[in-house]
Amino acid sequence: MKKPAPPHPRWAPWAFLAPFLLLFATFTLWPLLQSLVLAFSQTFGPKHSVFVGFDNFLFLLRDPLFWTALRNTALYTAGSVFIQLPIALGLALLLNRPGLRGCAIFRLIFFAPSLVGLVFVAMVFALLFQSRTGLINAGLHHLFPAWDPEFAWLDRHVMASLIVATVWLYAGFNMIYFLAALQNVSRELLEAAGLDGAGPWARFRHVILPEIRPVAGFVLLISIIGSFQAFELPWVLLNNSAGPDNRGLTIVMYLYQTGFLTGDLGYASAIGWILGLILALAALLQLRTSRKEEN
Amino acid sequence: MPSHRPLDFLSLGAWIILGGALLSIGAYLAWPQSKKHGRDFWLFSPPNLPPYVEAAKSWNAAHPDPDDQLNVQLIHYQALERRLIAAFTAEAPIADIVETESQAMARAFAGPLEGVGFIDLTDRLRAEGLFDAINAPSFSLWTSRGHTFGLPHDVHPCLLGYRADIVEAAGVDMSQIETWDDFRRVLAPLIQDFDGDGRPDRYLLNFWDNNFDLIEMLLLQAGDPFFDPSGYPQLNTPRHARTLASLVSWIAGPDRFCVDAREFTAGGDRMRIEGTVIASILPDWLAGTWKTYIPALHGKVKLMKLPAWEPGGRRTSVSGGSCAAITKSAPDVERAWAMAKHLYLSPDVAEAHFRATCIISPVKKFWELPVYHEPDPFFSGQPVGELFIAEAPNVPPRNSSPFLPLVKEQMMAILVSLKATAIARNQFDADSLLPEAQRLLDAAQSDIAARMDRNVLYRTPAPSR
Repeated sequence: MKKPAPPHPRWAPWAFLAPFLLLFATFTLWPLLQSLVLAFSQTFGPKHSVFVGFDNFLFLLRDPLFWTALRNTALYTAGSVFIQLPIALGLALLLNRPGLRGCAIFRLIFFAPSLVGLVFVAMVFALLFQSRTGLINAGLHHLFPAWDPEFAWLDRHVMASLIVATVWLYAGFNMIYFLAALQNVSRELLEAAGLDGAGPWARFRHVILPEIRPVAGFVLLISIIGSFQAFELPWVLLNNSAGPDNRGLTIVMYLYQTGFLTGDLGYASAIGWILGLILALAALLQLRTSRKEEN
Repeated sequence: MPSHRPLDFLSLGAWIILGGALLSIGAYLAWPQSKKHGRDFWLFSPPNLPPYVEAAKSWNAAHPDPDDQLNVQLIHYQALERRLIAAFTAEAPIADIVETESQAMARAFAGPLEGVGFIDLTDRLRAEGLFDAINAPSFSLWTSRGHTFGLPHDVHPCLLGYRADIVEAAGVDMSQIETWDDFRRVLAPLIQDFDGDGRPDRYLLNFWDNNFDLIEMLLLQAGDPFFDPSGYPQLNTPRHARTLASLVSWIAGPDRFCVDAREFTAGGDRMRIEGTVIASILPDWLAGTWKTYIPALHGKVKLMKLPAWEPGGRRTSVSGGSCAAITKSAPDVERAWAMAKHLYLSPDVAEAHFRATCIISPVKKFWELPVYHEPDPFFSGQPVGELFIAEAPNVPPRNSSPFLPLVKEQMMAILVSLKATAIARNQFDADSLLPEAQRLLDAAQSDIAARMDRNVLYRTPAPSR
């Protein structure tokens, strides 16, 4: 029997993959390897580079600014994720109610903040939080004359201010994911649960939540990754600084300060690799958790 | 064997896209590109552009050879900064001459001297007598380990700008003020609560613990730079401790007289216009910014010398700075040097810059130019140039360092921490805060020194301590 001929020559897949592989190798893989080399060096320009072994990483371990940045970033991530995701899910549940009028308008309103961009949001919140002339202080002082119009939100509550701005920006964006997931929850299951006497909470707990869990896991992961990479929002909101007493310093801000303000690219690379490891661990943990739940 | 026709590999649409891409590449490569002539000068400050363009015209008229033409290009500060980083780290193309500022230059000093991406101008400056012709403190930011890499553009002395209309209406005599203590005492009656809510609605000075520029000006005025001439940090001096401890009572406690009216913000400008804040520390460039961007203050403001930290002390400070530097990629350094001098040592350019920005030239012989002695209606008819020039020789010493951004964060953190300590103890006087200030400065000194010591490419000889 004659063997069926392959539709294309054997090299055809490689020819199609070549553009991606070339671009990936040039713009991702090679810079990644270079940054790994850089993390073990001290450099100044292209002509001065000294191999320093693990010195950058060892210094990192005893660098109080790095630990401050790590602690702040973890706090910011926890605050952003654990406040933002329930709000996003709550908004999605509200908008998913059958018969809700003006659903498209509400969806647009909630989603709109994520259309304007990080820098714009940071500028707006910097104005809102200003002492004396900011809308929040002025409004509170108008409503409650005892309120101190000079209350320095960005000095005294740096992290809370950052989290509020982040929640405002991303809750509507994540709501869209949850809304899409909710619209795929089986109506038959919900009706069956209702007929069996399940109340709203029981339906949410035993029908809706298991159905949207994969999407929730995905949203959780991208929120953690995004929060750990926070830079523009705190940098602009805190007026190109880390805020009082470095209370707004995030890992990426510290990386930027080290690499591009003080010019220590080797140390900045080491910070970048540690950040990469943290994110990889978070992704791995999420993957294992979701697999365990599936099993 | 099946036969494969080459055309079968892609659909018609894909072939069209591929054809279009190839056609575009061909058109791009075949497009005639005019040969670049002349030398480039990049700057980032928009008000500086018109005088340079005029100066470039006169240069180009005198040097008709296309390769001798001077091209002036305005580039956004961040774009210029990125291009400098790209040029110094990856040898990307850059202009022959750049007008750059202190932080970009400090970053260029982060390695060995031979690795600095700018031409060392020390011998040229010495041979041509420019170290004597130009105000000496103006060289400090462009000098690292005894070598100077920039031709200074400015001096940036600081004066005190105050709301003369409010002060004079209250009958306050500003000539009584010599020190910061006098300032607080003489102007204290102006701190007022207009709406009766128990909180002042008017303060005396724009200063806050989140504003490093102002912290730096006040610490430098007190007398100690953050780095010694070899680049080694000197943060934990008794004078820094005393100054920081003194600043706490300015922003906290019963005798507080400062408010956060940040420059370049709508809120801060509103507070200046409404008279919520009486006075601000003004470097010459900021005086120019006020003239341009806060016209509502026209005729309401006057300038005076800064109050000193102690009787007979320094009555000015310094903030910011820029210079012309020649990049190592410049093919003809002598020609670039001649161009830089043509731009920076021209009285016409100096006059035009002052008119546009209030920035005085560092070239001492230009200080006699009539423009500096003209009354300025914005500043209630005072001769603004003359006032800044009078303090130019007295600006405090400072030294360039790539570690300044870290020092900046440390100093702000120390002041924030001292303020918190004072509030917790309910003690705001400098003497009670002095030990804590010294302890925090010692820790900051150790931290910065440790960071510098581990940098094998930026070894500075540690001074005898």
